[in-house]
Amino acid sequence: MQQEETEERLRPLMIRSLEGDAGSHRQLLGLLGRYLRGYFARRLRAQAAEVEDLVQETLLAVHLKRDSYDRSLPFTPWAYALARYKLIDHLRRRHRSIQVPLEDAGALFAAEDAEEGAIRTDLDRLLQRLPDRQRTLIEDVKIKGFSVEEAARKRGITAVSARVMLHRSLKWLNQALRDENG
Amino acid sequence: MRTADFIELLVHDTSATAPGVALRRLLTALLAGGLVTLAIVALGLRCQPLLTAAQQPWFWMKAGYTGLLAIAGAVMVKRLSTPGARLGPAPFAAALIVLAMLALGAGQIVATAPGARLTLWLGHTWKVCSPLILLLAVPIYACLVVAIRRLAPTRLGLTGAAAGFAAGALAATLYGLHCPEQAAAFAATWYSLGIAAATALGAITGGRLLRW
Repeated sequence: MQQEETEERLRPLMIRSLEGDAGSHRQLLGLLGRYLRGYFARRLRAQAAEVEDLVQETLLAVHLKRDSYDRSLPFTPWAYALARYKLIDHLRRRHRSIQVPLEDAGALFAAEDAEEGAIRTDLDRLLQRLPDRQRTLIEDVKIKGFSVEEAARKRGITAVSARVMLHRSLKWLNQALRDENG
Repeated sequence: MRTADFIELLVHDTSATAPGVALRRLLTALLAGGLVTLAIVALGLRCQPLLTAAQQPWFWMKAGYTGLLAIAGAVMVKRLSTPGARLGPAPFAAALIVLAMLALGAGQIVATAPGARLTLWLGHTWKVCSPLILLLAVPIYACLVVAIRRLAPTRLGLTGAAAGFAAGALAATLYGLHCPEQAAAFAATWYSLGIAAATALGAITGGRLLRW
């Protein structure tokens, strides 16, 4: 019952996000972050810092892998399968063998946790390894709050190439996170 | 970085995606890999002219068998690359198709005079058939791996096996353009073995190659 409500709330957001609606995308990632935090905290019984790292890594995966969602299927099983994959991958990389049971998708949406853990440094540290051009673009957008268009104009490139640069940086970040710790 | 800030960064990268992009990528991979394999069959193995092959009913018997398996394999790959999707009836369909072909081959052997059975079963090319199919499956498998990695498989070994299966079945279909063997018993054995080898290759390498 509760899961049906979650489905009805999240699926339209996902579909509008796939149509390119930034507001829906922001709302979807925000809501998913709360559920992921609750799910990982229960499964990992770890420090909040580790949970928050995994939340960020999974949100990045949701963002980059949203192409793989089939709009004719329910959304919650998609999100659950992605979260479970990231959890297993995370444990494997740290050579910890904790069994992750295959549950109903409801397991991900059992509890929300809006309280962010400590401010994480994993991403910032990795971002330092990006080439200057890409790093400053991300800093302009993230820290100075510029739009991609403004940031592009500032360094005299087209908005399109700035978008491509941002997208490539995120993909690189995803790989760097995966390849850390084996 | 706070998670809320990170989300803002991701939101800057929002763009519209067309529905069906996942399926299109997988079909493109099958097409690209299939063209490479077709080129090897045409130039390397010197296959019989297409018009000659298309006139033979036994060519279509073999192509029908492996073509149906390739479709079943492609359906499995698509579903396994979609997180949370059920695998569905494709594996059962594939098993039924193989069983039907084995029954057809067995029936053909039973209906043949005992002295001619071995020749019918082994043909002239049984030694090279399965290894060649495995080899021809590699370009298709490689293209599929590239496409699948851009999606989100969550059961890597199984997804690799399905990709190897689809690649093997498509490779066998294209190999049929070259292969002069006519017996159902031959295809049921040596084609199936080649496809099974490609499936095993995918199952073994999938866990490593498909990680994202």
